[in-house]
Amino acid sequence: MHTGLFQNASTTLADGFWRDLWLRSPSPTENGRETDSMFMFLWWFCVAWFVLLMALMVYWVIKYRRRPGTDAVQSPSHNTPLEVIWTVVPSLMLVYIFFRGFWGYIDKIVSPGDAVEMQVIGSKWSWDLRYPNGMQSPMTDKIGFNDIPVFYMPAKTNIRLKMQSSDVLHAFWVPDFRIKQDVVPNRYMTVWFNAEGPKDGDPGTKKHPSVVAGSEEAKKHPELLVLSGKPYTQHYVFCAEYCGQQHSEMAALIRVVSEDVYKDWLEKIGTPSDPIELGKRVFKTKCASCHTLDGSRSTGPSWLDMYGRTETLTDGTTVVVDDAYILESIFEPAKKIVKTYENGNMTSFRGLVSPDQVQGLIAFMKSISQHAPKTEVPAGGTPAEAPKTETPPTK
Amino acid sequence: MSAHTHATPHAHHGGSYLESKGSFWTNVIDWATTVDHKKIGVMYLFAILFMFFLGGVAALAVRLELLDPVRAVTDGAGKVMITGQLFGAADANSIASGNDTYNVLFTLHGAIMVFMVIVPSVPGSLGNFVLPLMLGAKDVAFPRVNLLSWYIYVVGSIFAVTSIILGGVDTGWTFYTPYSTTTALGEPKVVLMVLGAFILGFASILTGLNFIVTVHKLRAPGMGWFDMPLFVWGIYSSAIIQVLATPVIGITLLLLAFERFTRIGIFDPALGGDPVLFQHFFWFYSHPVVYVMILPGMAIISELIGVHSHKKIFGYRAVAFASLGIAGVSFIVWGHHMFTSMSEVASTIFSGLTFLVAIPTAVKVFNWIGTLYKGSISLNTPMLYALIFLFTFSIGGLTGLPLGTLSTDLHLHDTYFVVAHFHYVMMGGTIMAMIGGIHHWWPKMFGKMYNERWGMIGAIVVFIGFNVTFFTQFFMGTRGMPRRYASYVQEFQIWHQVSTIGSLILLVGFLIHLFVLVQSLLAGRKAPKNPWGGLTLEWLADSPPEEHNFAHEPIVQCGPYDYDTHVPHHWDPKDYQIPEENLRTTAAH
Repeated sequence: MHTGLFQNASTTLADGFWRDLWLRSPSPTENGRETDSMFMFLWWFCVAWFVLLMALMVYWVIKYRRRPGTDAVQSPSHNTPLEVIWTVVPSLMLVYIFFRGFWGYIDKIVSPGDAVEMQVIGSKWSWDLRYPNGMQSPMTDKIGFNDIPVFYMPAKTNIRLKMQSSDVLHAFWVPDFRIKQDVVPNRYMTVWFNAEGPKDGDPGTKKHPSVVAGSEEAKKHPELLVLSGKPYTQHYVFCAEYCGQQHSEMAALIRVVSEDVYKDWLEKIGTPSDPIELGKRVFKTKCASCHTLDGSRSTGPSWLDMYGRTETLTDGTTVVVDDAYILESIFEPAKKIVKTYENGNMTSFRGLVSPDQVQGLIAFMKSISQHAPKTEVPAGGTPAEAPKTETPPTK
Repeated sequence: MSAHTHATPHAHHGGSYLESKGSFWTNVIDWATTVDHKKIGVMYLFAILFMFFLGGVAALAVRLELLDPVRAVTDGAGKVMITGQLFGAADANSIASGNDTYNVLFTLHGAIMVFMVIVPSVPGSLGNFVLPLMLGAKDVAFPRVNLLSWYIYVVGSIFAVTSIILGGVDTGWTFYTPYSTTTALGEPKVVLMVLGAFILGFASILTGLNFIVTVHKLRAPGMGWFDMPLFVWGIYSSAIIQVLATPVIGITLLLLAFERFTRIGIFDPALGGDPVLFQHFFWFYSHPVVYVMILPGMAIISELIGVHSHKKIFGYRAVAFASLGIAGVSFIVWGHHMFTSMSEVASTIFSGLTFLVAIPTAVKVFNWIGTLYKGSISLNTPMLYALIFLFTFSIGGLTGLPLGTLSTDLHLHDTYFVVAHFHYVMMGGTIMAMIGGIHHWWPKMFGKMYNERWGMIGAIVVFIGFNVTFFTQFFMGTRGMPRRYASYVQEFQIWHQVSTIGSLILLVGFLIHLFVLVQSLLAGRKAPKNPWGGLTLEWLADSPPEEHNFAHEPIVQCGPYDYDTHVPHHWDPKDYQIPEENLRTTAAH
């Protein structure tokens, strides 16, 4: 009917065009939508005040422009009731805004007791997330030159992220969820969310590419089979607190999938038994922001042909890049710095990588270095190529 | 004083303060050793304009980089391409060094614009020049301290510029720990920049102290506190903050330098320190200093709107008390910069307190617009800038609301929304007011009129450029673009491109103003004493004023905006001679 039509039009105006212009799309979390609605309220509140003020200003500047020979009309330079009103009325409005903002904030900051807890560690310049079973996501995607981690999250589930930083300040921001929390070294900070996840007919919902069971790809990455053809929504994670050179590359992706898919996926992502495969995975999620595999220099040296090479250090002495030097460099990067990398940008990864993962990284470096002792090259492996699927026994 | 009974204000003409003292070097030495507040004001003005140029170049470099940074784009077929090779071929190494350059440039822009431009801008230049004149004084209370503050400003700026020459600092102007205490250790540049800011603090304290004493002790006979022009109220309020807050940043920056040298933990958690402590210290100064920056801008606007509307400011006392109120509240809201790093209780308290600042600020805007009502408004470059200020500053103030509101700030903190907000306040507020003020007092400072038509054209171009540059950034922020990013995901490129185009328009606007002012100095028409019809005391002095400002100490018998009672019918504000019965000299007593 008429009222319905009118309501439709006004909702479209209020929640459609302007909301999409300001906030891209509705937030997939309930608390995020309250923030959106608060923001849109403030937007119209500001528009109303601004238009009122500017209209008066422009109208009076035109109406009372100086006409030579005409004096200003006498008018009072002070009016107590008016001045009291325009002080008290905005104050009351601000009280309302404060309380509504406070409630929305409390909802966003206090997580429900039954939330699933996951650990997040921010370090220069990557996000690292550990699932409740201690596993890490092996998936990556690309921003710029860097691989960034992809975190799978179950839909319609309360998830609390317990976060810390291993070096400087970072901030965990998921723009779509409207949540942000600084990550401070030596402290636990938390955020929580409950995302709706994929929906039929939602333009934000995408589908994973199909992977055929038994194919080469499925053998290599069995977790892809679980995701094959399944819908997901994707949300950026950005670091919002300036943290140095690659601050703008410190990102991650959250993919929300249905709870079943998440459960299957979590079961499938074990630690690969092949150390080279494990090392490659660690490289992509933690090291790729500063090191390349193609020989080009980035923040740090490329890993291509690095293992076994003799390097000159800043103090003039030389060192062979061997297991011991790599282990030391991962835990105490500032101790022996190779010439021309004096800035020493690398952060210590003590506590961020397990002994297995360090072994994996070393194995991976060997596999892509022509200087590595021939006997240790995996059977059939050609040095400069990506690691092979044939797993040498490591038991 | 000699016992003339009816000496006119211009009975004994000294030479203009700009008059040449002889050979070139005599003049150089005269200016370098001057204690004349007018010359110091002019020297501040040129020093600040030079730093504004440096900071502006850094800003343009930042905007040009963001036009097309190196980033990955996924095309329709799902293929990832690397794009953004405007400034040379892209590889991983060029990303690393490109990011470094970008980080240095935005730090440079922020540090220069805050510490070397906006904080000293209005007090150092216009404040020094105009405030003693407005009070009917010969000079500030401590003229030699005033000169000292200028030299300290120059030395502090040299420290900062040296750190640029050594490769620049990449900490951001906020120097957040532990990044700032661990980056480029073993190199002196961070410490140089920090010491530069530390030294600049003393210039700020000395100027503030000087103004406070001047306002208390050197007002002309007959000028009570509520007979002072509102410009004086604004500068006085900001001087109080300068004196009280600046020592805190001094101590904080020294602690930071100390930690870098000794590796004793104060802020770095790896050494046992607390990084959030630094944020509290830093914002305990840097929030009040936001009002050191904006109050003088508001002070100028009160003056411009009153004088060019030729009408008594609406609610004079409310505006004066709002200045003091803002100065007071500014000390208890620092925590609103830290909603994402503090406890929930502290955040809540600071959010509530933050809304308090909105009230006096809103009252001021209402009063300014109320002044227009039934005025007699001359629309010229200074007045146009006052209107631009009302437009941009209102946006700046209103967009503070979603940032002070807790739930929305969790989304907007550290995004381009914040960048846009503070540019609307700092640039749309203080800088717009300052350009307006420069045009307003230009005839008084240099004795030359400027080209009004081109001044207005410049103002309009600046207005358009400013809004195109910064309004886009509000949308970027709410849509998910973090600040201080050397690169971005593809969907933000169109917004960045519009913003960069805006910054180029802004550049054109500033160049127009530069040409207008240079043309005025070289070939401007001689300025009358009182080109706008102002009733405050500086318009009683010659243009440019003689060395000791007034031939005789003026006595005040008319309020600063008493247009309703003290100007004749059918008067012409252009070149209006303030009648003697309004402003008599001591000789008349």
